[in-house]
Amino acid sequence: MRPLLQNPVARPYVLLVVILLILVAFGGNRVLAPAIAYSVLQQFSVLGPVALALGITMMLRHFDLSVAGMLGAAGCLAVIFGGDAPLPGLLVAIAFGMASGAFLGAVIVRLRLSSIGVTLGGLLVLNGFAYVVTGNREIGFPRLDVTRFVDFAYLNAFSPRFLAALVLFAIAGAIMSWTRLGRDVLACGSDPRAAKTAGVSVEWIVVGAFTVSGAMTAMAGGLLSYSLAAASPSGLADVLVPAAAAAIIGGVSLGGGRGHPVGIAGGVLVLCLLRTGLTALGVPPFIHDIATGGVLLVVGLLDGGDLSRRIAEAARLFAKREV
Amino acid sequence: MSTQDIEQKKPGGNFRWEFVPGNLSVSTIVRAVIVVALVMFAVTTPGFLTMPSIRSLLSTMSFMGCVAVGMTFITLSGNIMSFSLGASLSATSIVFVVLLPQGVVVALAAAVVFNAVLNGAQGLLIGYFRANPIIVTMAAFALITGTFTYLTGGRGIYVLTNDADFLKANLGPVPGPFAALLVCVIVGQAILWFTRTGRNVYLVGSNPRAALAAGIEPWPTVVWSFALAGVFTSVSAIMMAARYGSGDLQHGIGMEYQAISAVLIGGNFIGGGQGSVLRTLSGIVLISVFQGVLVLRGFSTEMQQLLIGVVVFLVIALQWRKES
Repeated sequence: MRPLLQNPVARPYVLLVVILLILVAFGGNRVLAPAIAYSVLQQFSVLGPVALALGITMMLRHFDLSVAGMLGAAGCLAVIFGGDAPLPGLLVAIAFGMASGAFLGAVIVRLRLSSIGVTLGGLLVLNGFAYVVTGNREIGFPRLDVTRFVDFAYLNAFSPRFLAALVLFAIAGAIMSWTRLGRDVLACGSDPRAAKTAGVSVEWIVVGAFTVSGAMTAMAGGLLSYSLAAASPSGLADVLVPAAAAAIIGGVSLGGGRGHPVGIAGGVLVLCLLRTGLTALGVPPFIHDIATGGVLLVVGLLDGGDLSRRIAEAARLFAKREV
Repeated sequence: MSTQDIEQKKPGGNFRWEFVPGNLSVSTIVRAVIVVALVMFAVTTPGFLTMPSIRSLLSTMSFMGCVAVGMTFITLSGNIMSFSLGASLSATSIVFVVLLPQGVVVALAAAVVFNAVLNGAQGLLIGYFRANPIIVTMAAFALITGTFTYLTGGRGIYVLTNDADFLKANLGPVPGPFAALLVCVIVGQAILWFTRTGRNVYLVGSNPRAALAAGIEPWPTVVWSFALAGVFTSVSAIMMAARYGSGDLQHGIGMEYQAISAVLIGGNFIGGGQGSVLRTLSGIVLISVFQGVLVLRGFSTEMQQLLIGVVVFLVIALQWRKES
């Protein structure tokens, strides 16, 4: 058990099993129904790509706040362009995401700015953009056949939307595990200067990561709008908190240089199972907010630079008093 | 770091820096051009220089303005921004309204203390354990929203008495909320200029390690920064509760993004250690005038959001010189 808990990729899956057991203990067969699995995977198809996008930038010691704006903006674009031809509409949204991500990445690298500031600006611009293109209204998506297709549950659980997200995770996982690029990404994250000295083109990797981040988020946003048959400029922070939480639960370190897509997938599954399971048990939705916030707070605290030092200090103080 | 940079970071140096732009960097020139262009734009807009227009401008900017004054302390102390200030504003408005039957003084004091503790606790986690400010404040956002949805059932709570009506009063021609904003600005700037905590905010924000090496533990300063952000935000919460006659989770939605926009447009450095409340005030005024002009010229609300986003982005991009 111990090596399993120390492996950051395996840890979220251990947590997943524990949560599943608890839910089954309270809800029995209600939790094990195929509809629940379908619901978990449907949520995965939105939160997954966004958490992966955020997680990849976090591995590089950056933070892409703009994903929250991109999700809405890409959804609006896909619906506007996809009425006649859904696939080209989705491609327009993805191209927009790539262009936006590449631009933000280039600004961060060329001007040596903090990614948080730049992507905060990007978030506000993208959000404004979504309001302008939709005219602050909800835009309907008239293609019910497309809506039915992206959400169709093959084998009662797997929708094309989920499979698209799964493919993203598979590609990202393969790159991180088996290619030089993957090792370069972690090297850039743990020590950019050393990586640069060793001949890694840190700038290109950062620009590439933000480009990929924009593209993945745009894909998730476009497919989400197709699934909802509507797009609207949404609230700002709705997806940011769970995405950051999923990445951190999945073993991505805020200090950069650590993390793996398989772990992130586990983190996303944990949050999706928690939300769906609690809903199935009839627990009101605010409990889920509190649970997500609590988990994020605890993990953030454990990740904090001084926790062990402060505990040691407290222990010393306590020991002195004993003497 | 050149001596001039150090000069700027001293509180005394800051005092001069606010009023006499000593070094004419590109960003200073661009900022001056923007201000002049905006003034021309405003003055030539029909209906802008009328009393009702100016009064409504002053009122609307004040709610966001107090939050921005609070956010300034978080940014200056090197913690970028808080994602939970909007949620804590909503929570404080609810606390205020719920306690109003116990007396106005009790409600006022409780609201201020509540929000100071709520944000100070986040500052404690961030400062004492060096937890990441983004993660902690995002977690706090979810926790506050969840807890207060549970407590209120997601509905607004309405004021049944008229005890708090005096908070809606105006001081002659000056709208009440604007007077409150001015008090916040003066108090905030005075803290930065004249107190030890204020000086430590600059020191910890520009280099926490240097602060530690100089024998100053950074964490109490971080706690103070967040607690002060809570105090200034609670002013906004109280005014909004009084104006709308309710405490509601809707009051603060998106407020943290407006506030950080004002902080950054005013020219505070996002990395911390450089800036002031006066700069934030200029950011608040710039955004509000910009918005007011856009409204009078018939631009839609959506277009305003996009343009303000673009301006924030440009201002952040202009800070590149300082960080390299």
